[in-house]
Amino acid sequence: MSYEVMVGNKACATGVKLARVKVASAFPITPQTTITEYLSDMYAAGEFDFDFVNVEGELTSQVVVQAATAVGARSFTCTSGPGLLYMHHPMQETASKRLPLVMAVVHRGVKGMQPDHSDLMSQQWQGWIHMYVENAQEILDTCVMAYKIAEDKRIRLPVAFGYDGYVLSYTAEPVEIPAQEEIDKFLPPYKPMPSILPGEADPATFARGFGDADPQKPWKIHHEAALMAETVIKEVFADWAKRFGRSYGNGMIEPYRIDDAEAVITAMGTIAGSAMSAVDKLRADGKKVGLVKIRSFLPFPRTDFREIAKKIGAFGIIDRSCQPGMGGPTWHQMRSTLYDQPGPQILGFYAGLGGKEVRVDDIVKIGEKTLKAARGEKVEPLVDWV
Amino acid sequence: MIEIRLHGRGGQGAVTASRILATAAYEEGKYSQAIPMYGTERRGAPLVAYVRIDEKRVRERELVHTPDYSLCMDTLLGMQQAVADNVKPGGVVLLNTPKNPEESELAGNIKIATVDATSIALETLGRPITNTAILGAFVKVTGVLKVESINKAILKYYPGRVGEMNIAAVKKSYELVKGPVQAKNKEAPQVKADLYVDGYGVLKDVSSWRVFTPKIDESKCTGCKTCWIFCPENALEWGEDKKPHMVSRVCKGCGLCANECPVKAIEMVRVEI
Amino acid sequence: MSQRITRAQIPLEEMTIVPGSACQGCGAALASRLTFKALGPNVIRHGIPCCPDAVTKHPRAGAVFEGGGASLTGTARGLKAIGRTDIKAVGFFGDGGVYDIGFQGLSAAAERNENILVICKDNEAYMNTGNQRSSGTPKYAETSTNPIGPRSRGKETQKKNVPMIFAAHYVPYIATASVAFPEDLIAKVKYARDLEGFRMIIIQSPCPVGWNFDSAKTIEVARTGVQSGMWPLYEIENGTSFKLNYKPKELKPVVEYLKPQRRFRHMTEAEVNEIQTYVAERWQKLVKADEVHQVII
Repeated sequence: MSYEVMVGNKACATGVKLARVKVASAFPITPQTTITEYLSDMYAAGEFDFDFVNVEGELTSQVVVQAATAVGARSFTCTSGPGLLYMHHPMQETASKRLPLVMAVVHRGVKGMQPDHSDLMSQQWQGWIHMYVENAQEILDTCVMAYKIAEDKRIRLPVAFGYDGYVLSYTAEPVEIPAQEEIDKFLPPYKPMPSILPGEADPATFARGFGDADPQKPWKIHHEAALMAETVIKEVFADWAKRFGRSYGNGMIEPYRIDDAEAVITAMGTIAGSAMSAVDKLRADGKKVGLVKIRSFLPFPRTDFREIAKKIGAFGIIDRSCQPGMGGPTWHQMRSTLYDQPGPQILGFYAGLGGKEVRVDDIVKIGEKTLKAARGEKVEPLVDWV
Repeated sequence: MIEIRLHGRGGQGAVTASRILATAAYEEGKYSQAIPMYGTERRGAPLVAYVRIDEKRVRERELVHTPDYSLCMDTLLGMQQAVADNVKPGGVVLLNTPKNPEESELAGNIKIATVDATSIALETLGRPITNTAILGAFVKVTGVLKVESINKAILKYYPGRVGEMNIAAVKKSYELVKGPVQAKNKEAPQVKADLYVDGYGVLKDVSSWRVFTPKIDESKCTGCKTCWIFCPENALEWGEDKKPHMVSRVCKGCGLCANECPVKAIEMVRVEI
Repeated sequence: MSQRITRAQIPLEEMTIVPGSACQGCGAALASRLTFKALGPNVIRHGIPCCPDAVTKHPRAGAVFEGGGASLTGTARGLKAIGRTDIKAVGFFGDGGVYDIGFQGLSAAAERNENILVICKDNEAYMNTGNQRSSGTPKYAETSTNPIGPRSRGKETQKKNVPMIFAAHYVPYIATASVAFPEDLIAKVKYARDLEGFRMIIIQSPCPVGWNFDSAKTIEVARTGVQSGMWPLYEIENGTSFKLNYKPKELKPVVEYLKPQRRFRHMTEAEVNEIQTYVAERWQKLVKADEVHQVII
């Protein structure tokens, strides 16, 4: 085990190497660009046995790694913002075909170049598993774990993990690099299911078929597999914690000082890191506010939140994206999750959209407002822009 | 509400026929709906269209599952029980065939009517396109719409001289239709042909696509393999005897083999009904 | 360049599962049958949206419409990564996926010289969706999006010269083929199969429904296409070596090709002459190139 002070994008490339990815393909786009460069350097130097395919656009990169995964090579791609939108068409097929691809999304909001979560959030319908990551160590760890989750035969769905551009992708932090032999014990080689190689493929798949008697069935199966991911995520993260001594809550959520909290704020990505400092400040001030860092947005940690909701008076949900006309995705998910279980108030906060800086003090104020709500005071508006 | 199901092959104008019926209904101050059943319609492949006619606006969009009337434009398809499936008890099945209604083997609590629409079309239009020719017979046996409305609708789709020719076809089939008579068979045999084409895939049997079938004169055949190599469906197996052998469930009757044979050893003959 | 074969040398083994859902007389179904007969097993067949042509005994891979070049790339790279370069990555795509929506991805794959074989069954329009024009539609052809009327004489521009465009990527092998010349087609596919790098064969596949002719005439139409110079048969290696495979003493007049197809029935004599001149001039260039065994691209 060694360490290096490295930027988020390098931690990602290192994770790709540790996971023994065989085919990587990407098209450069700020703030993901340097991942393509790190991987190209690794390829040229012969640092590990893989192929890097320089393609002419993001859509192609998604199809290339989709096809390579299908044929039996563990694969990787990465992008940001508009690049992800360009992949929208084939991205859906990766999930429908149940291919365990892993993709890093270096957040870049769709309305500009600075980070927010509108890129990955806009792809909620694609049938993938969505995770949000807060620091460079977590990037490396999540990248490797993502393959174990995706390739689990109970789910076989692709995983996208997002992390904020600039503040995380280009910021350097100390990162521990686990030994390859230890990673190999954790992550076995990838086997495609089913095989599409001649001689191994099932002849019944040669024709396109007349379609299911029930055309709703593929959706039902897909939906159930995505929900199943919660079980797998918890198992994989527990296994990682045991082997490498690093845990991120239970993998679905990472709670911070919620045990005796009256109010809990939630956040995803780098805002969650700042929120930990905000919670420390509030606590020092005698205010019993805790944080839940949401790691898995899809599937949403319903079980965990239903438990937490029993003991607190209010949630302050921070969304780093806003669906015009609909609102914050996390806020909606939380309200839907807790509808049948009357309890805490659920406040919403838009923070960091368009890359707007979110300061610790901003989050302290969010905590204070949420605490007021927890104590039964009237707070307005229910959803606000920070 | 009246529900009608039309059967035909891709390219025979079944969808247009459904729209003519819907238009005719509207001409009479009724409301209507015409739904084509799109699968991958290939030229020669069977297809289905549906029509609803009602006094008020038709709101439902589901397919017609129990038609009052079934209408089949293609002679060979009209020999398959699927044409009579789920017709409401006492409903009428109208077939394009030179045969009499009493000769039809279709089974169930249905009435059968027949008209030789193909011959009528050949006579009045010069082409075997039966989609309008059969509509005269249809209104005669069902009384659902008036001939005048059908004619008005036809002129919307086929204006001018072509429209007049189609109207003549309608008139003739109105006069010549036979029946309806109660079907002689109460119950249908279990075996069902692969009538519907639904999505991509491998079909089981396309022999019903053939209106003409290749007849190989082995005495003329020189074993040059031309027919074998050019068949798009690989329906001619090359035998150990160095002669081609037609596989019935695979041959669509396109006529390529007969056209290409350098010694004219293959003839396309009309399929017997 | 490919080695010529005789009819007797055409393999008897069929790779097609029959019957398929193609129309009666489908040129693309025949193109598929002949192509996969030449390829044999040990192929992963890639498909993107297009007409159903024929189903063959190969495992399938697919991608979105515009992803033909990309999915072949991924499969080829993946096969290399798992040590199975004995398996061939082959795409069987229509002109829509090669000339138009998939053009970018294929050009990029050619530029990277990916180890893939692309076969294009060119039926000169988007046939699966009902005969809408593509850049492969010939000038003056009527399609459902280029209908004839006071404002339109059918497709306004000449067919995009895709074989030459891909040859200009200096890839190992580009060829044109026709379903009416099965020995030539099979020889080319067999040759391409065993080469490394980017290979592409474009097979003209007449469509009786879209081109509007009697389904029994598919081969006749294809044959006249070659004999009139409308669809020349040639091979280009590395963007330089050139060979014209079919060189009659005299080309048939293009009107013999155009007349039987109702998609051209509206053409005036002047328009036919325009096409005749265009074809004759192009033919001269090809004949010259064949004489020196070279194209200048």
